Amino acid sequence: MIDAIVAGLAALMTPQAMVFMFIGVIYGLVIGILPGLGGVVAMALLLPFTHGFEVAATLALLLGAHIATIWGSSVTGILFNVPGAAKSLTSCFDGYPMTKKGQATRALGASATGALLGGILGAIFLAVSIPLVRPIMLALGPSEYLMMALWGLTIIATFSEGSLMKGLIASVLGILIAFIGMDPVTATPRYTFDILYLMEGISFPVAMIGLFAVAEMMKLYVKGGSIVDRQLTEERSTVWQGVRDAFVHRWLIVRSSLLGVWIGVLPGVGATVGGLAAYAQAVQTSKTPERFGKGAVEGVIAPDATVGANEGGGLMPTLAFGIPGGEGMAILLVAFIGLGIVPGPDMLTKNLDLVFSMVWIIVIANIIVTIIGLGVAPYLARLPALHANLMVPAVLAVCFVGAYATRGQIEDVAMAVAFGILGYLMDKYHYSRANLVIGMVLAIMIERNLHLSLTLYGGDFLLERPVAAAMLAFIIVTTALPFARRWWKRRKLASAGGRA
Amino acid sequence: MKRLGAGLALLAGLTAFGMVPAVAQNDFYKDKVINFVVHGSPAGGHTRHARMIAPYIQKHTGAKEVRITNLQGGGGLKGANSLWREKTDGYTIALSSIPTLILAPLAGSAGAQFDATKFTYIARVTSEPRVLTVGGKSPLKTVDDLRKLNRPFVFPSQGTDEDFYTMAVLFDVLGLPIKMVTGYEGNADTALAVIKGDGDGHITSWSQTVGSIASGDKRPFLIVGSERIPEAPDVPTVFEVTPREKHASLRAIINTVDLHRCLIGPPNMDAKAVAALRTLVMAAMNDPELKAESLKNKMPLTPLDGAKVTEMVSEVAKASGSLSPILKAAVKTIQ
Repeated sequence: MIDAIVAGLAALMTPQAMVFMFIGVIYGLVIGILPGLGGVVAMALLLPFTHGFEVAATLALLLGAHIATIWGSSVTGILFNVPGAAKSLTSCFDGYPMTKKGQATRALGASATGALLGGILGAIFLAVSIPLVRPIMLALGPSEYLMMALWGLTIIATFSEGSLMKGLIASVLGILIAFIGMDPVTATPRYTFDILYLMEGISFPVAMIGLFAVAEMMKLYVKGGSIVDRQLTEERSTVWQGVRDAFVHRWLIVRSSLLGVWIGVLPGVGATVGGLAAYAQAVQTSKTPERFGKGAVEGVIAPDATVGANEGGGLMPTLAFGIPGGEGMAILLVAFIGLGIVPGPDMLTKNLDLVFSMVWIIVIANIIVTIIGLGVAPYLARLPALHANLMVPAVLAVCFVGAYATRGQIEDVAMAVAFGILGYLMDKYHYSRANLVIGMVLAIMIERNLHLSLTLYGGDFLLERPVAAAMLAFIIVTTALPFARRWWKRRKLASAGGRA
Repeated sequence: MKRLGAGLALLAGLTAFGMVPAVAQNDFYKDKVINFVVHGSPAGGHTRHARMIAPYIQKHTGAKEVRITNLQGGGGLKGANSLWREKTDGYTIALSSIPTLILAPLAGSAGAQFDATKFTYIARVTSEPRVLTVGGKSPLKTVDDLRKLNRPFVFPSQGTDEDFYTMAVLFDVLGLPIKMVTGYEGNADTALAVIKGDGDGHITSWSQTVGSIASGDKRPFLIVGSERIPEAPDVPTVFEVTPREKHASLRAIINTVDLHRCLIGPPNMDAKAVAALRTLVMAAMNDPELKAESLKNKMPLTPLDGAKVTEMVSEVAKASGSLSPILKAAVKTIQ
């Protein structure tokens, strides 16, 4: 194995591979920043240019671009409340409040370092856990995925401060929106009114662009001025604060990275859910969960570490079983086949050096991204101070192009506007947009896996699936913990007060 | 302006007297732009095939550009609905999954707003044999084991795709019960379900499953086609294990699946364009350079002339009377 690790690194030490990785990273950062476009699009667009180059160089170009989109997507989420891709949604939850508090540079630094450490730890966990991948993948199924989605759902409470009812209404609205389209289980059209556009369902990235980006620009236009008024809120933070934050919260990063690897390994879960689960975990393990949603740096670090670690895990279904996992992997498969490599379980024995080349690419690309990121963060942090007259048209133009580019449909642009209005109204009347999005992401996953669990194992599936039962117990305990803690604190205060 | 008018009048006059040579059939697309719409995602198999053949279509037609765009959604129905209303001048063609076009209306899908028999079929591009595989540890080795199973065969499926319909027809012909479990996320998800034993078997293309067969995670059970395949010579076809008198509906569905990826145009496409395209596309697909590329990329091409494809589509449509109730019943079981 040591030989393979060294050989994997050596293959990347050619001028072509390094240049390709650098090009891939820069390109990935740009694609990541564009709303709606993520790693899959970045790789799909590069694919036609990969014929006839070294194997390692081609993989460096593709994977490098894929990795760079992660931080690229978080940048716009943090600075403008515009998530660059679905998986970076969580960067809006605390990153944007940090920007408003004049801590944009710190948030960008924390995000880049979180993604870097997540990527590296993810690669290490992956290398160590290669022998465990098969048994774990075989042990987990729809019932366990269902529990994972339920866990994600527990974050709703975090964003429901003030009125739990309003929080729940927003989540239910999200669930209802997710149900528009062909039902994945019975192929029945739901809420489509015989309109073909609606049969495909509402595109999640488009809804996100509307709810966050368009709504935010509407708000800015109405308010005037800029996102951050530098005369009132001076940008005092530095990237090093962000880097330090990441190291201070090192155990959070370790937990988030482990979570990321395993979410990547499991087909059908996805990085967006991964980011939400990481956020839930950060809230639940924090001693001060009330700071989340208002600019807690842990809320930036944890999801970025998870998404960073997720990439390595995503390679596993193909390597362990010879079956492509997600769409990103399908593109890498095309590249593999073009390069004459047959993906499959043989990869773990005959082509182990290539597997480690990919692990190294993830590590090196993350390092390059972080160096670039830490360098440009102070300059990027100045952008939110731009006046609305400049900011609104520029951001809206990019958003609408992004909305169109996700599926190439003009109706999606109109949908982004509709969601923009919805987002604006929700924000005005204090209904959490985050809750709506969480409902939207998790609804189909819960429906799908609940149906599969019931069909395969029957109504008492929890008795047949002990791991799922244990996960449910864990969810109940971790959800109850903050409430119990608060109750305990109050009781202690009351008894102290009584004594006084 | 006057000069232009005079020129046009002269041209019209010369044309009327037959002094301008008629455009040769093979020059129909010379220096023109062909819009090549792919009914699938930019990362999917359809697009890979389209990108591989497009340069050769350009070479053989002499077109200035073969412009590839993607129109995905509704499992190909969105693209087909759009092509149904497309201009018939011959400059817009599409690469589409034919089984979807034929089976969706038969099963009563509300999303299909076209008549599959009326599209213009230019050529089949590829058709890869599909295989019913079972888990490596499954007790099912032959169809007799299937008969002795004493419970329905559990089929994990990602939805009502062509494999779902094929299984419905196959088990109807076999006279055995099947339990369709829909809701899986894709091939990786159904494959894992079969390997784990949550499901008994699923259908995939040979290239998608060869890795897990080699590692012993899965076993090929039946070839879902008319002929055995060289890669698995001992595995029988579905026709070998089913009663001959019931082959009509099986043949109809297998013919449909065999059509796989075809180049098609809108209904009533310009006759000259159809004739030119059918000849030139077949020439492109038989280009030795393209053949070598397809071998190297492991992306097989199995070209079939448009006239033959049209014939097969009408045969399937004729047999649809017997298929439709089976397909509708299958959809009903999951609703």
